[in-house]
Amino acid sequence: MARYGHELQFGVFITPSSDAPQQVVDLAVLAERVGLDLVTIQDHPYLPTHLDTWTLLSWIAGQTERIHLAPNVLNIPLRQPAVAARAAASLDLLSQGRLELGLGAGAYWTAIAALGVPRLSPGESIDAFREALAVVRAVLDTNAERRVRIDGAYHQLDRAAPGPTPAHEIPILLGAARPKMLRLLGAEADGWIATHRFLPPEGIATGNAIIDAAAREAGRDPREIRRLLNIDGRFSAERGAFLDGPPEQWVDDLLPLALDDGVGTFILMSDDPAAIERFAGEVAPALREAVYRVAPEAQHAPRRRRAAARARRRDGITYDDVPVSLAASAVEPGDVGYAELRSNYLRGGSPGLILRPENRDEVVEALAFARRHPDLPLGIRSGGHGISGRSTNDGGIVIDLGKLNSIEIVDPATRLVRLGPGARWMDVAEALAPYGLAISSGDYGGVGVGGLATAGGIGWLAREHGLTIDHVRAVEMVLADGSVVRADENENTDLFWAVRGAGANFGIVTSFEIEADVVGDIGWAQLLMDASDTADFLQQWGAIIEAAPRDLTSFLIVSPPRNNQPAIAWVLAVVDSSDPAVIVDRIQPLATIAPLYDHQIAITTYAGIMANAAQGYHSGRGEPAARSGLARHITPELAAGVAEMISNRSTYYFQIRSVGGAVSDVPDDATAWAHRDANFHLTAFGTSHQRLGPLWDALRDQMDGIYLSFDTDPRPERIADAFPPATLERLRELKQRYDPTNVFRDNFNIQPARQTVLAESTD
Amino acid sequence: MQQEASNLMTDYGHDLLFGTFITPTAMPATHAVDLAIASEQAGLDLVTFQDHPYQAAFHETWTLLSYAASRTERIRLAGNVLNLPLRNPVVLARSIASLDLLSDGRVELGIGTGAFWDAIAAMGGPRRTPGESITALREAIAIAREVWDTSKSGGIWLDGEIYQIQGAKRGPAPAHDVDIWVGAYKPRMLALVGQLADGWLPSLGYLPGGPSDLAQMNARIDKAAEAAGRDPRAIRRMLNINGQFSSTSRGFLNGPPSEWAEQIADTAIDYGISAFILAADDAQTIALFATEVVPRARAIVADRRVLRSEILAAQVSASGGLSR
Repeated sequence: MARYGHELQFGVFITPSSDAPQQVVDLAVLAERVGLDLVTIQDHPYLPTHLDTWTLLSWIAGQTERIHLAPNVLNIPLRQPAVAARAAASLDLLSQGRLELGLGAGAYWTAIAALGVPRLSPGESIDAFREALAVVRAVLDTNAERRVRIDGAYHQLDRAAPGPTPAHEIPILLGAARPKMLRLLGAEADGWIATHRFLPPEGIATGNAIIDAAAREAGRDPREIRRLLNIDGRFSAERGAFLDGPPEQWVDDLLPLALDDGVGTFILMSDDPAAIERFAGEVAPALREAVYRVAPEAQHAPRRRRAAARARRRDGITYDDVPVSLAASAVEPGDVGYAELRSNYLRGGSPGLILRPENRDEVVEALAFARRHPDLPLGIRSGGHGISGRSTNDGGIVIDLGKLNSIEIVDPATRLVRLGPGARWMDVAEALAPYGLAISSGDYGGVGVGGLATAGGIGWLAREHGLTIDHVRAVEMVLADGSVVRADENENTDLFWAVRGAGANFGIVTSFEIEADVVGDIGWAQLLMDASDTADFLQQWGAIIEAAPRDLTSFLIVSPPRNNQPAIAWVLAVVDSSDPAVIVDRIQPLATIAPLYDHQIAITTYAGIMANAAQGYHSGRGEPAARSGLARHITPELAAGVAEMISNRSTYYFQIRSVGGAVSDVPDDATAWAHRDANFHLTAFGTSHQRLGPLWDALRDQMDGIYLSFDTDPRPERIADAFPPATLERLRELKQRYDPTNVFRDNFNIQPARQTVLAESTD
Repeated sequence: MQQEASNLMTDYGHDLLFGTFITPTAMPATHAVDLAIASEQAGLDLVTFQDHPYQAAFHETWTLLSYAASRTERIRLAGNVLNLPLRNPVVLARSIASLDLLSDGRVELGIGTGAFWDAIAAMGGPRRTPGESITALREAIAIAREVWDTSKSGGIWLDGEIYQIQGAKRGPAPAHDVDIWVGAYKPRMLALVGQLADGWLPSLGYLPGGPSDLAQMNARIDKAAEAAGRDPRAIRRMLNINGQFSSTSRGFLNGPPSEWAEQIADTAIDYGISAFILAADDAQTIALFATEVVPRARAIVADRRVLRSEILAAQVSASGGLSR
């Protein structure tokens, strides 16, 4: 412990007796109740007097909540290693990160061979085990993102897919006694499980020396490897032999093992409930106290990554300086969970470090860390759905706000809601539904609050209730210099103006106060229609929308013709009314634009429509190509241009959202989002900017403004499209005031006013 | 007369079981467990999980099944079906017995030969011909029954074509007489079911002709059972079903719940199917099946069984006795 700096842990080693299954489970539950850290089960699949160890551990996982679980140790010759690895990932997921994987090379070969497994010599069994360990590591490593080939003498994988991703970095602990096994352990494993009664005198020191030398030889820090010891003894009144005496004697006996031999985990081999209680209640606390008195630093041991994980670190990041509060949850390229966090909805990413703050103060710390890396990209991520994907990067830092996902109804009477930036809109909709409230957001429930509520928010109730930003009443945000401010209509009013439409350039919003709308049951229509005359369809749809009352908001998606099928229009519409007559009245004109292939009209809830996000994590790849444009009318020229892009398949996904209505009630200069007169937002997704860009640029004179959330064009001109001159000038002045060194630079950067002047003067 | 009667109705006399067939998705981690709990709460008899250990997006099924058993109290559980080639048969049998002991007798062994040999080989498993895979299953069933049979003394010895078991010890005995259910479609496998299994577990989706294919397959199982000296009624006929609830009737298991109940009852009566296991991955569908379909199907089958026994009684008295 002292030598290796690990926090002290205590566990039990329970006999998995098949004639008393409930008693076995009761002991595991007892171990958790009395505060032990680990319950372990030996594995001898050839013994009929034992329950199957993996089955028992899985069962115990379902009966406990906190205690960690480990086979002590799993008999690899009788466990198919690739299946065992997937099983380990599963048990870790099901137990919420409580598995430690003890593995052994097998010892009783006559018994093993009786079960039909070819007999191996001791030396061969370690060679086979080395390969099995490589198999287990490879199946558990989902960051590699490629199928695994291992062509060993004993074990082969032929393009096996890694996964599932476990809930945490499962420590691999080896039961080992022979030097060859100890050397393997030093090079490859995360822990050594020794059994005191089988060790010769000085056995721990000898084993440690072999492990440490092998670790150093493999470029590892010996402190990466925890030392665990199975112990057995007897509580008795009189002091006697080793671990035969009162608890005070146990503490005296174990203290040198902890301090001198560096044992970090003591595992009591006992099936006696009274002994387990005394071990937990009278030995563990006293031994902790005695050890931490000598070695206080071990009480809060830092997270130590394996050398193999550290090898995947990126240049230029001072990993060792990550603030303590963020270190435990930070995700590096070599960590479990990186594959789930690295990419966005459409854009692939390979950040060098993902910080995951849980509260405002941790956001301040994360930002301070990022400020010390001015030459690296910086992404701020809420839900990761952003089309441009600027919240991830290659080799930079990402501040992931997913844990700031609170949803709080401040006051149902005033309809004030407080949201964390990491909440998802489908969860917001679900939380608000019981109060008869809703906030119009976007069209997809998986989108995060932060990105959308600082950019715009063209949602299903836009024409009736306006943009999402129009409902924001206040924000709490962390500015570039780390200060925390509130911005609303009375305080920091400039900032409040800027954050509604250009928020990504000004800080990290850690809390939004939003006024929700009263929204009851609503009409929801999905019409699938023939759009073979695409231009005509677009114009007719546009004209109907412009003439419709505000309670109708409609989104139109047009798919290109394929397989001799004409272009298909998918008209989605929400009618903010629960009256069937009103709903039919609004939908009827849309349904008559062209022949109808299929339709569904239902009365549902806003939350029901928003509950549409796919499960799983973002797995975007490459660079998405999408363009955006705002338009007042669907003119014949605009419709024709779009129709051509669809028919020649320059775009694989084309959508128009109705805006206007309540959105246009807000003056252009009230928020940084300024294109208030637009009735429509158009977006096209293509396979490349080279193909999509020129066609879209040719339509620019038909459009006025863009919505940054739907544009991925990296050219700086897009800033001028997004913000009219007066708005942009004010934004640049504010940028100069609030972020003069341009900390927030990677999401459609608005240049600070002075910086650009300087740049121009040097031209 | 009796021949006509059996054409009219097939019934092997088992009580009806209704269950779910749940995708063992690993994301979200507890989704499949939640659906197992939902199946129990809805009052169903059985929850089953498919087993594809080479599929990285899935939980390892035995781990999931053990954990789900731990989180439920009444419902029975089985793999549907477990992949033999990637599991040691002795360890598998002991695992089944262990979970049966822990769960108070709620576990059955659903087992198959394995089918996707490239994927199995990718995981380091064997690549077996159809013949070898059937031999392996035959041997594994024998091994499992020996492991569970602690009434005999002595070790287990089998010098098989696939498995060489050299004195493995017997036990532990499971808490109840564990059923072995086998997924089978082709003649050799159907014969194996008739000879060795306690249940036959095909999937509706793999029957090219739909439910009517069951008649001919049943006949093969019956014939093999009789040839092996077994009563065909010893083998429960089960069916994995999939369908869609809709307001109008659009076909087999594609319509309103009342129509599902009729179709399931017809399948029970016409083909002797006594377990219907619905592929479902959401709690609403499970609840709808359990509350709207199952009670109706049970009631219809019970009514028709009464009718059937009356018809048979009339036939027996008319023909002066039952020949079988």
